[in-house]
Amino acid sequence: MAERPEDLNLPNAVITRIIKEALPDGVNVSKEARRAISQAASVFVLYATSCANNFAMKAKRKTLNAGDVMSAMEEMEFERFMQPLRESLEAFKKGQKGKKEASEQKKKDKEKKSDVEESDKKDEDEEEEEHMDEEPEAENEAEEDEVEN
Amino acid sequence: MAGDVHFYLRNPSLVTRYIWNLQLKHVCRHHIFCQRRMAATLGHAQGTDSDPDRVVEDEPRGTDGDEENSQQTGATAPQSRLAKLPLARIKALMKADPDVTLASQESVFIIAKATELFVEMIAKDALVYAQQGKRKTLQRKDLDNAIEAIDEFAFLEGTLD
Repeated sequence: MAERPEDLNLPNAVITRIIKEALPDGVNVSKEARRAISQAASVFVLYATSCANNFAMKAKRKTLNAGDVMSAMEEMEFERFMQPLRESLEAFKKGQKGKKEASEQKKKDKEKKSDVEESDKKDEDEEEEEHMDEEPEAENEAEEDEVEN
Repeated sequence: MAGDVHFYLRNPSLVTRYIWNLQLKHVCRHHIFCQRRMAATLGHAQGTDSDPDRVVEDEPRGTDGDEENSQQTGATAPQSRLAKLPLARIKALMKADPDVTLASQESVFIIAKATELFVEMIAKDALVYAQQGKRKTLQRKDLDNAIEAIDEFAFLEGTLD
């Protein structure tokens, strides 16, 4: 096989944790087996991405979305994953929404502060505009006088 | 490659070989840069690190020492608790595919979650073979047996060292 940098493998600690949780107590996993599972997981990501990308390309989209991945799961014969994935996706979306609202709230608070500062500035600007309006009118009157003469 | 989708679907191992062979050099150089950039955008939001060594240290702070919390409190817990695998790393892997331009955050998350389910599945299936051999330790050969026997794992044939 071609060179395969360690960086592109998923973190060993996390893989080990997932494996341990899946297996009953008292069962051990050899280092070789763990490494192989980690590699298999990376291959899985690549394969799933490739399949999902095909669906996106069929729909003439350049961005992979959740639906593409779900279709890819079906294509890869991992239908058993689809229901748990849908549930996880719902939870994820809620989390995203909560975060978005939190950051929007922060933005609003910031805007309120800057609004107060801006309104002070506006009063000064209006005074300047009034002065400017008077000047052109004065010039027009001067020109009219010259024409008449 | 883009035009010959069906050939590659029938020979999934070639997909990975193709990707590994052509893209890894590019990815190696680009990876560190992307990893840091992804960590900045995703890592902040998640509270997880792209650095593998620090993942272990993060756990006590984040999960409160109880891994089940991530499933029970999915709705209220921060995003980082929903996926055990780092989204930044998954995204880096996805970008190794030359045909992939953009991937939505949702799609990265679902693939991370699916990979988790995959790891659980393959571990359990390999355990069956270990138990057949009256062993309590999962070994590499158990994995090979599982890959050979189970249709869903056909894409793994020839891809592992």
